[in-house]
This record gives sequence, structure tokens and C-alpha cells, in this order.
Amino acid sequence: MADKSKVGKQYSTPPWEVERCKIRELVRAIGDPNPIYVDKQAAIKEGYKDTPAPPTYITVPANWQSQTEQFMKDLSINYMMVVHGSEEYEYHKEIYPGDVLTGTTRVASIVEKESKSGKKMDVITIETEFRNQSGEKVLVARTTMIERK
Amino acid sequence: MAHELYFEDVNVGQNLPKLEKPPVDKNQIWRYAGASGDFNPLHMDDEWGQMAGLGGRIAHGMLLMGFVGQAVTSWVPKKYLKKLSVRFGGMTRVGDVITVTGTVKEKRTEGGKNIIVGEVIARDQKNDMKVTGTFEAVLPNKPA
Repeated sequence: MADKSKVGKQYSTPPWEVERCKIRELVRAIGDPNPIYVDKQAAIKEGYKDTPAPPTYITVPANWQSQTEQFMKDLSINYMMVVHGSEEYEYHKEIYPGDVLTGTTRVASIVEKESKSGKKMDVITIETEFRNQSGEKVLVARTTMIERK
Repeated sequence: MAHELYFEDVNVGQNLPKLEKPPVDKNQIWRYAGASGDFNPLHMDDEWGQMAGLGGRIAHGMLLMGFVGQAVTSWVPKKYLKKLSVRFGGMTRVGDVITVTGTVKEKRTEGGKNIIVGEVIARDQKNDMKVTGTFEAVLPNKPA
């Protein structure tokens, strides 16, 4: 059961360097053939500085830095009972290879809800703001996780 | 010529080009695990998926969001995309054929910004909903 005393708690994530090849791996896995994500010249022609990170790129540092696992542990959430409810991204600036991203994560809310069949669950909302090496806000991510009880 | 999308050329009710993905296979799920760093056994291991009562491994929800991102940014240039959000519905399994469709729901100018808002849905071959979402973009005006 999610620990409600942790609402409002903030965590900092270690710096994450954006790598060109990691962007390529992600779009290949998705099967997105858009050349802007892999071909610098094509990206420049479309008005980017370099190959931009695709819309769901930020899941990469979130997973590789084991942020989700850490929260679940700290919030006493039972990993086996959790499903990913929703994911929302606000894009402020493009993310490019070589950028160094630092995130600040906040436990935004933990709300108990009841399903149609009367089962209780906790809906946990986590918000992370990512800034680049120049201190510019690049992206805000909001994740909700549903813990069945 | 760069791929462009002008505010004047977008209408409420307009559909996004439909995106039909090849069937999701184990190889794609493995690749997505490696790329994203999500090695949850529910995605990696059929037995684990059976134990969890899911009838085998399931694809990552974020892979489906990736499909949605592909559908949206093959129409709206990535640089104009301001928001993308999804709500996860049904589980996606090996063999499922996912199609993403979308519609423009709103068009307005606010504080000098040309905003469009659209809805997207990813469904499988049985028409079961996997993901619903919305996107918001700020578009340029057509040069006079």
C-alpha cells in the first residue's frame, strides 16, 4: 500500500547524457522510420540543430537510472500489484545528443479510488521536471501508477 | 522541401493519417526492452506472464505510446509538438496488429499562439482499445 506521508517529497536524479545511438535504438525498436531521429542532415533540413529525441525518449533515463524502482521501494509500493495508468509529457525545448539532463521528481499525489467492481486501489502521480546543461526546462513528465490492493 | 504543417491547413474533425504497425513480435519486445531499459519480466518471460494471469508476456505500454508518438510526429513536425499524453487500456500481446488513428478536436489562437488539440487511439486487430491519448501542438501561420 502506497505510503501517503511521501506526498510532496522530492528526489533529484543523477545527470544523464543523451546519446545519439540510444535515440537510434529507441526509434528502431518502435519501428519509426522518420529520418529526423537518426540522420543529422535530414534533421537540420527540417529545422533542428541535430537529431531530436523522439516524443517518448525520456522513458530511457527513467528506466536506466532505475528511478521507478527507487520510488516504488521508497513509497512501499508492491511492484507485482502495479500497472502503468497514464503517461503525459510537456515539451518545452528539444532534447539533442550531447545534452545533459537532470530531473527533479515530486510525488504529486496518492489518491485512493475504487474500481467499478468495488476493488480498492491507490493512484500514485509522480511529476518530473527535466532541465538541460544550460538550466533550461526541456520536459515535464507526469506518470500515474495504479496499485491494486 | 521541409515537411511543414500550417495552422490554416488544419481543420477540426480532420483525421490524422492512419498508422498501421506490423504485428508485435517477441523480437520487437526484446528490442524495446533493451532500448528503453525496462526489463520487467512481464515483458521478457511468457511463464511470468502466465503466472501473473496475463496468458503470456505482454508488450510494454510505453511501446504503444511510442507508436502513438510515431503516428503524431509523422503528421505534426516534432518541433511543434507541445504535449502528448496517453492512458493505458488493454494489454498488447505477441501477434497483435496495432493501428493508431487520430482526429483534430480543437483549434484556437491564444496569446498569439496557434494551438491545435487532437485525440489519438491505438487499437488491435479485434478493434480492442489499447491506448487513448491527446496531443497539443503550436503551428505556424502559412506565409502570405
